[in-house]
Amino acid sequence: MSIQNDSLLSIRKLACGELSVKARLGYVALLLASAAMTVVIVSLWFTEPSLPPRTHWAFGAMSAIGTSWATLAVWALTTRRVLFARDKVIAGYMAVTFTLAFVIGALAAVLISQRAAAFMALTTGVLMLGVAVRVLGSARRRFAALSARRAELARMTA
Amino acid sequence: MDSPADELLAIRCQLGERAAFDALITRWHPPLWRYLRRLANDDDTAHDLAQETWLRVLRAIAKLREPARLRPWLFGIARRTAMDRLRAQYTQPPMSDVNPEDIAAELPDANLEEEFATLEVSVGSLPIVEREVLALFYLRELSLEEISVLVEVPIGTVKSRLFRARQLLRRDLKTTGVYQ
Repeated sequence: MSIQNDSLLSIRKLACGELSVKARLGYVALLLASAAMTVVIVSLWFTEPSLPPRTHWAFGAMSAIGTSWATLAVWALTTRRVLFARDKVIAGYMAVTFTLAFVIGALAAVLISQRAAAFMALTTGVLMLGVAVRVLGSARRRFAALSARRAELARMTA
Repeated sequence: MDSPADELLAIRCQLGERAAFDALITRWHPPLWRYLRRLANDDDTAHDLAQETWLRVLRAIAKLREPARLRPWLFGIARRTAMDRLRAQYTQPPMSDVNPEDIAAELPDANLEEEFATLEVSVGSLPIVEREVLALFYLRELSLEEISVLVEVPIGTVKSRLFRARQLLRRDLKTTGVYQ
């Protein structure tokens, strides 16, 4: 019996580490930041005329780094630090806030510089904002559905 | 289908309520541990399997489609975890020379069920395939249909394994003098 109890205690410790909200939302922040960084770099890369070859290599390397971080974050969020319904709503709000700030920044850059890179970043930012709004809507609906079922079951078991 | 209390627990976990995970572990760790202990046949392996099982549960419960079927889902994960570890031993061919009618007639025997609690050694000596079905049917009280889904074999094979487990157990108990 004591071995079973020891096992129970170790599982509880394991759960404490696994269920860290900070780690989950940290990966969400990493995904948003790396996606924004990649969009800015790719926008500059594709819109700057007559770049020397080594600058192409530098932009390529930075884009690859940004994409790698974003891929890592997606992998972690889908397999290791899966978001629960409440986390998804928070992540959705984070995504909307972040992409909105990005769009405002890109819009300011368009108005000030009129550069093609700013237009490209703005277009991509608007697309990202659309995705973020959809993700938030889906997360809120899922959270509401689960909460309703939770209330129903709580009444049944009371 | 599980009780509403278990479904409620699963949904609270899916919502992300921290206290619900504590309750889930408190409620389900002991039966899962006993099941894994019987499959593994030693404490250390059972402990490792329990850790791996819970890791998988914590990472997958957000995607659980039917919270009302929490129990078979949990045991399914435990089983897959154990089978991944014990695959090398999981090579026993299914029996083909057993009459299903004989098997059906054997199933309702409840006397043997009561004796299992005191027969750890004999149960532990069974081959993994038979031991698993025996543990699920008698000790975890899963139905033949649930075991069939869990173990991913037809119901007829579940019955064969159950029949064979009972035969082996009876033979073993006769030699030790426990069963007359």
